[in-house]
Amino acid sequence: MKKLSLKTRLILFFSVIAGIMLCCSAFFSWQESTEKTNEFFDTYQTALARQLAAADWTAVHSDKNRMNEDFFDKIEHADTEDEAIGFAVFNASGKMIFHDGENGRYFPYEPKPEAFSNTRVDDEKWRLVWIPTKDSQFMVAVGQELDYRTDIAWDMMETFTLPWLIGMGSLLIFMIIIITLEFWPMKRLAVHLRNRNGDDLSPLSDDRLPTEVKPLIQSMNLLLGKIQSTLDRERRFIADSAHELRTPLTALKVQLEIAQLATDDDRMRSEALTKLSTGIDRASRLVEQLLALSRAESEAHSDTQTRIDWHSIIHQMISDYQQPAQEKNIMFKTDLSDAGPFSHGNPILAGLIIRNLVDNAVRYSPNGATVQITLRDYKLIVLNTGTHVEDTVLERLTHRFYRPAGQKESGSGLGLSIVDRITRLYKSTLTYRNTSDGFEVTVSAQEPSSDFR
Amino acid sequence: MRVLVIEDDALIGDGLKTGLEKLGFSVDWFDDGADGAEALFQMPYDAVVLDLGLPGMDGMSILKSWRDKERTEPVLILTARGDVDNRIAGLNGGADDYLAKPFSLLEVQARLNALIRRHNGRPNPELKIGNICLNTNTRSVSRNGQAVSLSPKEITILELLLLNKNKVLSRETIEDKIYAWGGDVQSNAVEVHIHHLRKKLGQDIIKTIPKIGYILEDK
Repeated sequence: MKKLSLKTRLILFFSVIAGIMLCCSAFFSWQESTEKTNEFFDTYQTALARQLAAADWTAVHSDKNRMNEDFFDKIEHADTEDEAIGFAVFNASGKMIFHDGENGRYFPYEPKPEAFSNTRVDDEKWRLVWIPTKDSQFMVAVGQELDYRTDIAWDMMETFTLPWLIGMGSLLIFMIIIITLEFWPMKRLAVHLRNRNGDDLSPLSDDRLPTEVKPLIQSMNLLLGKIQSTLDRERRFIADSAHELRTPLTALKVQLEIAQLATDDDRMRSEALTKLSTGIDRASRLVEQLLALSRAESEAHSDTQTRIDWHSIIHQMISDYQQPAQEKNIMFKTDLSDAGPFSHGNPILAGLIIRNLVDNAVRYSPNGATVQITLRDYKLIVLNTGTHVEDTVLERLTHRFYRPAGQKESGSGLGLSIVDRITRLYKSTLTYRNTSDGFEVTVSAQEPSSDFR
Repeated sequence: MRVLVIEDDALIGDGLKTGLEKLGFSVDWFDDGADGAEALFQMPYDAVVLDLGLPGMDGMSILKSWRDKERTEPVLILTARGDVDNRIAGLNGGADDYLAKPFSLLEVQARLNALIRRHNGRPNPELKIGNICLNTNTRSVSRNGQAVSLSPKEITILELLLLNKNKVLSRETIEDKIYAWGGDVQSNAVEVHIHHLRKKLGQDIIKTIPKIGYILEDK
């Protein structure tokens, strides 16, 4: 089911509450007015009955016809039809000797001295009070129709409840207006977001928005900022990549032109073609590294998490690099007694770490060096002997496309920045230093909080 | 024409050296900024090809240091960053021309030729004396309209003499202009080339000034 909007839900919720409150108030008013009406009319009936009981009914009894008309006049003036009051007087034998000429004449004789009784009179519900005269010769019954009492109680309840109804109604109307007005800035924000250009990552304005929504906007702005910086990084990366590809392309073009020029010089042509081939290898490697780096970047958003078998990855890489290592008489040594820097992740990325570190070690080590790969205390350490890196160079080593001055070995300048990116993905740290033996690169599990990015 | 190339990329540097030499220049190639910057003060170069993205000392600082020391050699700048701002900065920094990577070797040659011509105050690519004509673009020589086959070194010596008409050039000056460092210079190499030039173009065209050098005189 579609979830209703906050505004609709608020209005609906308040309307239901108001309705319930109105019903409750009506119910309690009804109870209260019924009770009060009953109390009032009971008192009134009793008082009237006592007055009637104080009269001398003996005379009425004996001279009934004469007194009757006169008395009726009085009673009828005193009484009101509205109050639907009636009365009757019975003698000791239960014979009605007098009545009000209307409802009273139908009162049944069911005496309950000094008490009330509910009974049916002429098919209507009546409440009668029975008061005996002082000499107990006569019994006066004063009754009232219960429907009349209900009407009065209903009127009273209506009187109480109507202002409530009007108040609640206006309250609801005002509330709807206020809620609509309060939600207007949010609606405006939604429209603004919907119409926004996809490239526009500028922060959202929280102007006139409720304080409660501001944290959300601030978080969104933070997110927009992050997206902006990611985009900037990507754009810079693409620009850098394009520039970096120009150099190998130039080399290819120049060597190709030499091969074309050297029509009369076979040696020069064959040398140029060899260099062309080297250049193509180098360009391919750069492209491969760029792809690896972009893969490492996009991996931040994927969730490939499997157990990493560091041992087999390391052995695989060592066997891949056996050939170039032998050419430079480089020896591999391993000490894989412990766990790696992270246990779960993407094996391809873990492979990229090892491959780049081993590649660097083999590429930049002098002839006859040793490359020592160690797994210890959740650290991966690659040490190549006989290499020393200048301090000024150390700082910039993970910068993309950075290649130290005078570097004769071919390379893309991307290897360590790829390793750096992947280690960050796995909340690990990349450190490197010169040791007494050579140059040591460490990937360790802990990430110092100061370096957290 | 002797050209100084400062380019850190091995394949491009080697390509420029081999290619430009094939096209008749003698080339000294340095892959280190500081060494290359110093080299300009050691030899009489006709032009410089300078890469901007050098490790160590970058191209712009090298250019500035040269211009600060009143060096006027024409400089052709090479860079991977070919946007307008970079080109403006390079030209304002004292460069004479600008090439963005990836460039063509033939364009480098053409631009170097143009730079050298302009630097010598001589916009015509053809150099003439009497009935002899040298086209510096095609590096071909004709005598009475007939093509004469000369080796690249012979053409370079003839070009040098034509550019310095009526001036005596010492053997050392000629050697400096036509041989790159590390090239194989035999003690009598210049004499051999002059001998060949006289044979192909006429005995009286180049005069020997004993113990000083050679002169090409406009009659």
